[in-house]
Amino acid sequence: MSAISLIARDELRLMRRNRVAVVAFALLVLLTLAAAFISWSHQRAIAETRARFQAQAAKEFEAQPDRHPHRMVHYGNFIFRPLGPLAAFDPGVDAYTGNSMFLEGHRQNTANFGDVRQSSLLIRFGQLTPAFVLQVIAPLLLIFLGYGAVARERERGTLRQMLVQGVSARQLVAGKLLALAAVAALIGLPAMIAFLLIAGQPDALAGPMAVIALGYAAYLALWAVIVILVSAMMRRGRDALLALLALWAVLVILVPRVAPDIAANAHALPTRLETDIAIQEDLRRLGDSHNPDDPFFTAFKQKMLRQYGVSRVEDLPVNYKGLLAVEGEKLTSRLFDNYADRSFAVQAAQSGLMNGFGMISPTVALRRLSMAAAGTDLDGHHRFLEQAEAYRFAMVQQLNQLQADAVTYADDVAQDAGADTRKRISADHWQAVPEFRFQPAPASDLLRASLPGLLLLLVWLAIAALALIPIARHVQKARR
Amino acid sequence: MLLRTELTLLLRARMAMFALILVALLSIAAVAAGMAEVARQRDVIARIAPQQERDLAAIASWVDQGKDPGNAAYYSFHATWDAPEPLAFASLGLRDVAPYILRVRALGLEAQLYDGEAFNPELALPGRFDFAFVLVYLAPLFVIALFHDLVSGEREAGRLRMLDALPGRARRLWVRRVALRGGLLYAALALPLLAGALLSGVPVGQCLAVLGLTGAYLLFWIGLTLLVGRLRWSSVANAATLAGLWLVLTLILPTVAHVAINQAIPVGQGVELSMAQREAVNRAWDIPREETMTRFYAGHPEWRNSPPLPPAFHWKWYFAFHQVGDESVAPRAAAYRNGIEARDRAAQALGWVLPSVGVQAALARLADTDMQAQLAYQDRIRAYHQTLRQFYYRYLFTDTPFGKEDFARTPRFPSS
Repeated sequence: MSAISLIARDELRLMRRNRVAVVAFALLVLLTLAAAFISWSHQRAIAETRARFQAQAAKEFEAQPDRHPHRMVHYGNFIFRPLGPLAAFDPGVDAYTGNSMFLEGHRQNTANFGDVRQSSLLIRFGQLTPAFVLQVIAPLLLIFLGYGAVARERERGTLRQMLVQGVSARQLVAGKLLALAAVAALIGLPAMIAFLLIAGQPDALAGPMAVIALGYAAYLALWAVIVILVSAMMRRGRDALLALLALWAVLVILVPRVAPDIAANAHALPTRLETDIAIQEDLRRLGDSHNPDDPFFTAFKQKMLRQYGVSRVEDLPVNYKGLLAVEGEKLTSRLFDNYADRSFAVQAAQSGLMNGFGMISPTVALRRLSMAAAGTDLDGHHRFLEQAEAYRFAMVQQLNQLQADAVTYADDVAQDAGADTRKRISADHWQAVPEFRFQPAPASDLLRASLPGLLLLLVWLAIAALALIPIARHVQKARR
Repeated sequence: MLLRTELTLLLRARMAMFALILVALLSIAAVAAGMAEVARQRDVIARIAPQQERDLAAIASWVDQGKDPGNAAYYSFHATWDAPEPLAFASLGLRDVAPYILRVRALGLEAQLYDGEAFNPELALPGRFDFAFVLVYLAPLFVIALFHDLVSGEREAGRLRMLDALPGRARRLWVRRVALRGGLLYAALALPLLAGALLSGVPVGQCLAVLGLTGAYLLFWIGLTLLVGRLRWSSVANAATLAGLWLVLTLILPTVAHVAINQAIPVGQGVELSMAQREAVNRAWDIPREETMTRFYAGHPEWRNSPPLPPAFHWKWYFAFHQVGDESVAPRAAAYRNGIEARDRAAQALGWVLPSVGVQAALARLADTDMQAQLAYQDRIRAYHQTLRQFYYRYLFTDTPFGKEDFARTPRFPSS
């Protein structure tokens, strides 16, 4: 044990003396802190703007004057997706999805005004977040600091000396790994402290936060092992450096880029235009509300008349046009749900395929874990879309029901000069429409979604650690 | 003769050959992936027409019963599309996140123009695998791999003194080596691109521009590598320094600049514009209808002689308040757009300092897939929407019946 710690201490002392290494390390810490601060202030600004807009939208909705309820169905409502606290660490897809939505009757609108469509092309270079620094840049620093750990000793002939003096290759490899792992811990530490500070609320999200901490620790440890493995395998330091750089370029930069292309080609997503047209066709097949002789709507009318025991719609105790609006929205909404489910299923298949690349690249696995635990992945966005649709449906049906109950049929179909005033109902009703409240995913859901990624990373780490055994044997051969 | 000797030497260097083959494979894969994506987008656009026909035919058949132009204008959605340019395969730019097809109707445009397409954000997040990516991110790494030890490697092998001692030849030897390695690397990158460009029918001028851009970017990195090589450090130190430079130039500075630009140039949220437009449009139901018509006729005097509104609902009022609603937020829409353009210009300006950004921007511009292309598509939608409005207004404001044959007369989106 003492041999291992001696070797580790020696390696660390060497790194401390290397000015370039110290500067690079300091720069990375600075970058992490800067990323954390920028991310945090960005997240606060977003949260503040969205909350302000949400309040403004609610105020405007409630401030509408006396109106026909159907006018309010078309006036609609704006809702905003709030950002969870962990988004300051890993904002995930937030910049790529719209974060506001206009909700109205008969239509399902898209979430609009994502950052990606109102920023310069620089956004496609990646975003400076603590997650980005740890996923992409930290491994590179570990490579620079550790590529020579074993290769250097071999190149200078000191490896043979040590082995002859009785240090075992295992001890040597373990010592070098210990040194690099210590550096990895030091690299991860500022990010984790910043994470704790900016994410706050540790009690509610303790589980996901622990997974993130564990995941990034495993990731950095994995890179430390990989660096030592390659350094021990190669004959010269330069070969080790080039091999590691190539490995990094493939695992961190290339595979995460290729995976989406493969996923997108494997599972084609229907366009919005096609979905819209398909929904319209389905609706026409169901029935034509404009046609008085349409079988579907005639049957609906008969059902209503029977239900209330009258023979004419004029005699109904409720406004038939309101009933029709409720029924129509029910039909369209069911179709929206069907098509949205299909689209979600395709997207889930795409993401599933992409996550499979975590078996080739630990960066993909970590990204999956990180976004899932932070609640900023595709599931988080779908959660918003589903709640938005549920809220839209409830709001529109509440207003349609008002049309059925609070506006008489006679007024609703009247065309005379004073009819417009008689059709309007009191503005108090708008205040009775509840505000949109996004329900964030419970910590247990986030935890469950992030576990596959964590598992994959741990398997990576275990395999890499096991590979150290034959590598140590290989190093031992230098004695001869 | 000498060049052949150098070539033999290079062919024997296993790592160099491996690197060159890998570059060629990556370039081929990127070009193929880009072309597949562009073909897919073309297919999607081609699929629109028959579906639109069916949709409009169904609307036409029931509108024809009452012949009300308002119903035709309200219920018909019209397709617009932004077909990829031949060069789009080299740089997909924003085409994966911004819609390239959008349906609009003659109602308020500001509530329709910013709608998005259904796409999986998790796939868009890492960016697409296209030629621009291979060139901007990967090519410099290969330059570093091939050039970092050009001189230092010989020094470390103990051959440098001997090479320098060759009478008068030393300089030419290095030039030859650099030219050979650079030329092969360039060929490995550019030939697949050229093949893709020829297959896609890219105009010669654009072809030359992209090839020139590729060469210039490679030269920048080769120059930088040789410059670092002159510091007479060891090969390892060269490689580490260069990888660090690559990290700063292609990953760190662009992301820092993104934050700085978005902080410095606020765009005023687009959603503000949407909310203001909604207020303007819906207010029409609560004010005297004549007020709306007066404002409308002031901006569109050509319809002033239209008969007065009947006591009952009339579609021309409905369309008038949508038009007025759009016009009332026009300054906001212009400001929103100016903000986005200013951000884009700032990034372009940065391209003169940061080659990675400059090349990415120039490629996307040449391929017509950048923000400017998106905004130009929005302009074309605006222009088309304007002709749609004019077309329907002719019927609405003169109470001309709108029959099946009029559907055939509806203006179509002009293919650019």
